[in-house]
Amino acid sequence: MTTNPVNYIEPTTEELSEGVRLRRKKRVMNFAIDVFLIVVSILMLLPLVFLVANAFKTPAEMLSWPPTIIPRDPTIANFAAVLGETPLLRWIANSIAFAVMSTIAIVATSAIAGYIFGKFRFRTLNILFALFLATAIVPFEVYMIPLYFQAKSLGILNSVWGLLLGYLVMSFGIFLIRQNVIHSIPDELLEAARIDGAGEFWIFLHIVLPLLRGALGALAVLAFFQAWTAFAWPMIVTTTRTSYTIEVGLALFQTGFTVDLGRLSAASATVLIPSILLFVILRRNFVQGVASTGLKE
Amino acid sequence: MLKRKRWIFAILAILPTLAIFAYVRLYPIADTLRLSLFKWDILSKNKPFVGLANFRELMGDHLFIDALVNTTIIAFGVLILTIPMALVIAALIFHRTRSRMAGFYETAIFIPHVVSLVPAAMAWKWIFDARLGPLNALLTFFGIPAQSWLFDPVLSVICIIVLCSWQALGYAVLIYIVGFKNLPVSLYEAAKLDGASGPQSFWYLSIPMLKPITLYVSVVTLVSGFNVYAQAFVLASDAQGAPGRQVRVLVLDMLENSFRNYRVGYAASEAVVLLVIVLGLTLIQFSTLRERGKA
Amino acid sequence: MKNRSAKTRISTRALLMSAAFGAALLSGASAVSAETLTVWSGYPEMAPFYEHVAQGMKAAYPKLEVKVEAIALREHEKRVALGLTGGQDGTTVIELSGSTATRYLENDLLPEAPADISTFVKDPKNFDKFFSDTAGKGGKIYGVPLFRGQGALYYNTDMFKAAGLTAPPKTMEDYSAYAEKLTKRDASGKATVSGWSMRLSGGGQGIAEKFWINMHQYGGAILAPAGDGKWKPNFANEAGRKALKQYLTNIFTTKTVSPEMPADADAFERGQTAMFIRESWVIGDIAKKAPDLKYATAPLPKGSIALPTNLYVAGKGADAKAGWEFAKAANSPENLVWLLQNVGWLPNRSGVDYSAVTSKQPAFAAFVDYPKGYEFFTLPSIGPIEEILTRVAAQLVVAFGDASMAGDDAKIDAFLKKASDEVNTILTREGLGAK
Repeated sequence: MTTNPVNYIEPTTEELSEGVRLRRKKRVMNFAIDVFLIVVSILMLLPLVFLVANAFKTPAEMLSWPPTIIPRDPTIANFAAVLGETPLLRWIANSIAFAVMSTIAIVATSAIAGYIFGKFRFRTLNILFALFLATAIVPFEVYMIPLYFQAKSLGILNSVWGLLLGYLVMSFGIFLIRQNVIHSIPDELLEAARIDGAGEFWIFLHIVLPLLRGALGALAVLAFFQAWTAFAWPMIVTTTRTSYTIEVGLALFQTGFTVDLGRLSAASATVLIPSILLFVILRRNFVQGVASTGLKE
Repeated sequence: MLKRKRWIFAILAILPTLAIFAYVRLYPIADTLRLSLFKWDILSKNKPFVGLANFRELMGDHLFIDALVNTTIIAFGVLILTIPMALVIAALIFHRTRSRMAGFYETAIFIPHVVSLVPAAMAWKWIFDARLGPLNALLTFFGIPAQSWLFDPVLSVICIIVLCSWQALGYAVLIYIVGFKNLPVSLYEAAKLDGASGPQSFWYLSIPMLKPITLYVSVVTLVSGFNVYAQAFVLASDAQGAPGRQVRVLVLDMLENSFRNYRVGYAASEAVVLLVIVLGLTLIQFSTLRERGKA
Repeated sequence: MKNRSAKTRISTRALLMSAAFGAALLSGASAVSAETLTVWSGYPEMAPFYEHVAQGMKAAYPKLEVKVEAIALREHEKRVALGLTGGQDGTTVIELSGSTATRYLENDLLPEAPADISTFVKDPKNFDKFFSDTAGKGGKIYGVPLFRGQGALYYNTDMFKAAGLTAPPKTMEDYSAYAEKLTKRDASGKATVSGWSMRLSGGGQGIAEKFWINMHQYGGAILAPAGDGKWKPNFANEAGRKALKQYLTNIFTTKTVSPEMPADADAFERGQTAMFIRESWVIGDIAKKAPDLKYATAPLPKGSIALPTNLYVAGKGADAKAGWEFAKAANSPENLVWLLQNVGWLPNRSGVDYSAVTSKQPAFAAFVDYPKGYEFFTLPSIGPIEEILTRVAAQLVVAFGDASMAGDDAKIDAFLKKASDEVNTILTREGLGAK
């Protein structure tokens, strides 16, 4: 934290009150903080800027030293080559299908389970909830190999269903919704509905779900990006070019005999730009979702 | 009667989720534990029970030890780099919450966390490139000799730490910002009246009060650090034109053993070791926090 | 392994082939249903070849549908292992190297070839015994040989000229001496163009394979047969020391190459290295990516790796029959010439006239006109071969980074002993070690 020493350059005016001095000190400090944060922000974005810039470079410029930041003579040949040589759009479609279906599955299972665990206090349910929580800490990588063999015996390898198998439930999602149910849905509301003769399912659909809209939206964004950036699981489940997700397609794109960094960057940029746009649009939801992860206890 | 009806509804409603959960989570976890005790090779027909033989072999397997050491260094490296930086940056962004730039800071710092791993790693691969990369260009500009980042045994691990920290930072910052927002304002005002400077109240007030958040972020960062895979895969993947040194990490070694050497039982025993480490770390962190909280 | 021989036979063979096609056409016509084949390949550049073969079969199998799925070798091997053990659907023509296939044969996971295919493969006029042996096991034939990976030296003739070199290196000592002369350096003495590109980094077994090729020139091997189906490491010896020392001298003493320098075909095509050892596919790759490059090829001093790749068929019924016909059709002279010309992998079939291609592209000469007594070796057909090579590779990477080993023979010997012991441990674990 850089706090600039305060300037005492103009002590001449007697009316220079303590208040003005403090305000100036504060302004200088805020300016310094802004400068620092802007530098940090730029540094964080720089690798991505490089990537996008590389996508527009010619092979010759790619190999030139010193490296250029802004392409000298921008070309879209890389994009054309990538789209012509790889089923890039197919990969993107696979990723989107996978992410959307995973999101739906996670939101559905979390909403139901979170509500039940939050409002129905039976001993059986408490034990079950403890079980859900206990496995939350087990990394996916630990059990993905047996899960792979399950996918194989179901005959769903190389398909979006196989991808989905690993991303159907999210322990954290159930936890998140349960917390929300406890805090934002009063028991009285449910009791009143029951007295009016409403069925349990009707209550869930017409009272609980609307109240959970915000939390579910946040969870949906989290789930979407979780699936969108998944790597290890798609890497083992998909082995045909047409079933790759974008992550796997890109990773294997560079394991041919020779690598063309320009084209690789073009492919990466094609993927990067929509996901960044999506993030910027959904930022509020996302921040809320991530933020709620920190609100444990 | 009413209670019984509600119980039935609850059980029926939870059943599908429970079934899915049992099938895609509980069963494979149990199966991992089971497989770790077998010589379970994909290709051979007979898959005998071997007790703890896999674990004994792990102890003498220098590739596994190598992977374990690398992974541990990476996980803790990311932790040490990320947490203090995140704390400071979050404090500053929180300080500037009302400025128009706050949204930009948050977005810029968070974007690396949501971009796909592979494109991000590609970008870094170029930055670190020994011959063409801008990092070495910068170094030579200042008269520092260029380094072969992705090839040196020490530097290549550092590269992965930097890449992982770059991605983990945004998440930690965001959680910290939420933490700051939840701190009682009155306490800071009191401190100010007592003449505490900004840095002082950051050090003596914020840090201790954010301890639960620090704990949570540390667990998340460490656990994801132990699962590092894509970064190591991309930075040194098998492209044949001077790809880079393969930094062996646990998940990579595990996948190699199961899908290249077809030794699924052996790979499962590695998974069990990973599980024990992650559980151990979580327990240690929670218990230290609880003790300090009491003291 | 002779590729050039009597042209006269071809015409009769072609006749026989078309007769076979005719017969197939008849049987195909009687079975109305369309055949569907999936071809699994581990070399993306082979995809056009398989499509070309499928195209040629249209006459005999008008309804034949062929889906070619060519992906990176590692991924390919993985899907084969998992596909064959899990009972995949449909009929698949699988491209596998003989050494990899053995594991499947040992566990009865690949079916035997039908009688007519077996006869075709076993006929010494079609395939050298070396190839028919790697396509079978215990006297039975399981696969149809197709192409092989064989190494030769590629060198940049412009750079040779500039360095005053007129002929390719003949001995391993020449290689080191040439590398020194060919290396280009900047003002500080750092190499900017490597004299001899060696595989020094990356993941996986490639490093060990390349090391083996170099060591082979000195008479060593990572694995040598010990009789009775057993194997033993054969590199903790003088050959191993010489080979490793040559690597270390080039890296640390003469500094002609370093791990971070661009390497392999990529670097060669861009003029970033003067010479390197690689298989014949590079010829096709250069033609595509660097058509103006002036280069030539030369046989290695003593001999080369020869890694035969065969086609296997998994499936049943009419589809499987079509699958075997596909494997055979891939070996038609027309298709093989197409393969050599357009892809660059070396066909294994003898009795085919490849001169139309080799005369136009002299770079193929080093692969087909090798000297008398040229010694080939191949990867042993044992289960843990990949694991052994991967582990040796991991050890080698450490050695390539250890400057103190460069001038210290005792240290090199200790290192080789350690690596050799590790190989022995794996062999013993799998019951393959020699007593």
